[in-house]
Amino acid sequence: MKPVIQTKDLVYEYYRRDEEGNVESIDTAVDHVNLDVEPGQFISILGHNGSGKSTLAKHINALLIPTEGTVIVDGKDTKDPANELPVRKEAGMVFQNPDNQIIASVVEEDVGFGPENIGVPTDEIWERAEKALKGVGMWEYRKKSPNRLSGGQKQRVAIAGVMAMEPKCIILDEPTAMLDPDGRREVIDTARELNKKKGVTIILITHYMEEVVYSDRVFVMDHGRVVMQGTPREIFSQVNTLKSYHLTVPQVTDLAFRLKEDGMDLPDGVLTRPELEDSLSRIKAPSGAPEMTPSHEEKKAEKSPEDAVLILDHVSVTYKEGGTETHALNDVSLQINKGDFIGIIGHTGSGKSTLIQTLNGLIPVTGGHVYFNGRDISEKDFDKKALRTSVGMVFQYPEHQLFETTVLNDVKFGPKNMGLDDKEAGLRAYEALKKVHFPEDSFDASPFELSGGQKRRAAIAGVIAMRPQVIILDEPTAGLDPAGRDEILGLIKEMHDKSGETVILVSHSMEDVAEYVDRTIVIDSGHPVFDGTPREVFSHVSELESLGLAVPSVTYLLHDLHKKGYPVDEHAVTVEEAREEILRVFG
Amino acid sequence: MLKDITLGQYYQVDSVIHRLDPRVKLVATLFFIISIFVADDPIGFIFLTVCLFAIIALSKVPFSFMVRGLKSIIILLLICGLFNLFLTPGDAIVKWGKVQITIQGVRAAILMLVRMIYLIIGTSIMTLTTTPNQLTDGLETGLRALNYIHVPVHEIAMMMSIALRFIPILNDETDKIMKAQMARGASFDGKGIVNKAKAMVPLLVPLFVSAFRRANDLALAMEARCYHGGEGRTSMKPLHYRRRDVMGYFYIFGAFAVVIVLHIIF
Repeated sequence: MKPVIQTKDLVYEYYRRDEEGNVESIDTAVDHVNLDVEPGQFISILGHNGSGKSTLAKHINALLIPTEGTVIVDGKDTKDPANELPVRKEAGMVFQNPDNQIIASVVEEDVGFGPENIGVPTDEIWERAEKALKGVGMWEYRKKSPNRLSGGQKQRVAIAGVMAMEPKCIILDEPTAMLDPDGRREVIDTARELNKKKGVTIILITHYMEEVVYSDRVFVMDHGRVVMQGTPREIFSQVNTLKSYHLTVPQVTDLAFRLKEDGMDLPDGVLTRPELEDSLSRIKAPSGAPEMTPSHEEKKAEKSPEDAVLILDHVSVTYKEGGTETHALNDVSLQINKGDFIGIIGHTGSGKSTLIQTLNGLIPVTGGHVYFNGRDISEKDFDKKALRTSVGMVFQYPEHQLFETTVLNDVKFGPKNMGLDDKEAGLRAYEALKKVHFPEDSFDASPFELSGGQKRRAAIAGVIAMRPQVIILDEPTAGLDPAGRDEILGLIKEMHDKSGETVILVSHSMEDVAEYVDRTIVIDSGHPVFDGTPREVFSHVSELESLGLAVPSVTYLLHDLHKKGYPVDEHAVTVEEAREEILRVFG
Repeated sequence: MLKDITLGQYYQVDSVIHRLDPRVKLVATLFFIISIFVADDPIGFIFLTVCLFAIIALSKVPFSFMVRGLKSIIILLLICGLFNLFLTPGDAIVKWGKVQITIQGVRAAILMLVRMIYLIIGTSIMTLTTTPNQLTDGLETGLRALNYIHVPVHEIAMMMSIALRFIPILNDETDKIMKAQMARGASFDGKGIVNKAKAMVPLLVPLFVSAFRRANDLALAMEARCYHGGEGRTSMKPLHYRRRDVMGYFYIFGAFAVVIVLHIIF
């Protein structure tokens, strides 16, 4: 079959220029890439941030023109300016940020934008818009404002906007990086369905490994080169090679790989849970009735009021808007102790953001009391500013708050607001930047010149520099690639383990929470439903599912095995725990 | 604080006013604005009030929504009102030393207040019942003649519609950045102009950076969807005058005639 997309020795170089316009240095973002995509395929391109995958994607849409080599889309060379519009029509593109790619203020008008640009007659625009919106399941929302949609829904509208141009191929450039797990699933399912039912060629660029499992072919990029290619199974059987490119594999694949290394007879590149279960049951038949699982009675730390930093006593937050009341928080009583490492889980809109903002007084409570070190923070003479510096809050995408000329000055902003003099503030800033392992030679760099991961470190340092007694982080890993995610989480764990900080981590990644925290609180409809160690909380598999939350996939696996009659302890929540359990029972 | 501005926010409901051609609504708004400055007597304003309430009722937009736009400028209105009240020379009705309230002052203050309030409600009706896209379509087709004197009508219309689309997003963003800086001990209620301006830096710099980043992304997304200016572009919702639009013009000119007549008589 004739390939729909073909790149031959594609090279793209970025020229970095100084102020006079002289070339300072040349970065090769894409380096001799050869790619053949056949019609109807589902292709995934993997790579860490800066590996050149997005630059490659922009070539397919003629947003970038190759420095060397050629890109042929549907038989047309992108270098020819006359082909620009036809190429963009055939290869539609969906971007990362859901807000920044919707042009119109009504869903249907946005879907009509593309067809309008290529001169489709009015009646046909409507037909296409209807077809496209139905194709992504957003037809009922056609009259809505995009601002009222969730992230996943916005991305589906963006996909419909591309579909309405009737392209042969859709390129999705990290479409899920800014979404929560529900939104991620929505978008990937939509892409798969379009591929299967309408035969649209899909090119998915991502760093979430779970998303590429169903693709026909996977390309891995590093330093602008394609370093691995093959079926998902072929790619995922090379766990160590992937790790060397700063990528991780799905939990189940990782578990199977470790078990195989331990000498168990398992196939290469296990992709899904049922696959691993099948392979395991071939090794050993279930031993009949499930034994009693060895009880892992964990000693509960005695909660004495002396250890408490923050106490929430029957706290409620109610918003009134136009006569309707929304209960963002509903009768929440919690105690947060010195040295706790807490993970707060809940899906978007569950009230977790409101909860953490009541802790430092950014959102005043409408019922109940919040006590900080034994004092009610709603008292009139309570120093709110001091509270905000003692209960440090790192918001989502904290790098968006950077504003100073240098990183050091930016980190000094907090300490200076506390009334410290320049020298003391500088010392604090230095200490904080060291704590987040920020490279010393970039202390005087502009925060706007840094890479994504470094910006985030600088922003986190900006909060740590105030030496807060409690640090709250809202989705600190959002939008980072696997390597960046592990670094930031490692950093947070280090702060807790080494310096004994009290840390509250808000996340919707169950895997992260299971791996790092000591205590998990699940919030739903503004009320905590579970509060305990990750093992305790994740043992409520079906209850969590009914709340729309998933447990780590290894927990699912052990649950299934337990149900089948294997005497495994179903409470394991990390890959390492699961490995030990399976080795104990199957080994 | 920025959330209270209703200008540029569409209220979704099906009504006669919503279905009107945007050009009719633009003309209506223009004539309404002219009318409130032409009218200067109670009878004229009673007539305009009747028109205004009739349109609000027809539009099915809750009245509270219209008034919300006023909240943000209430201080400004009051200050203007007070200035008019105390500083208009004429026949004093109350006098304390040098300060006096004149009959002309009272009149001027009331007139000014009513005009400002009607101006805002009038334009709010237009933006509440017309999607920004319709509005820009209306402007684009209505002002197409200006193309001949090289006014980039399409580009201006596109910029307007994008600006309107991003107002709520940047509002949210402002809120978020403010909170993030407050969490770092910043306060936005400093004393004195200099301190206040200084306190805005940590808010405005990130906001500008973000606006530029969004603009960049959006430009890319538009290009990727084959946007190449107004040339050869078709329209999803082309504007055709219907019976009700012709009726609309009829009512507008009728009402305007009444305003002029009332102005001449009284």
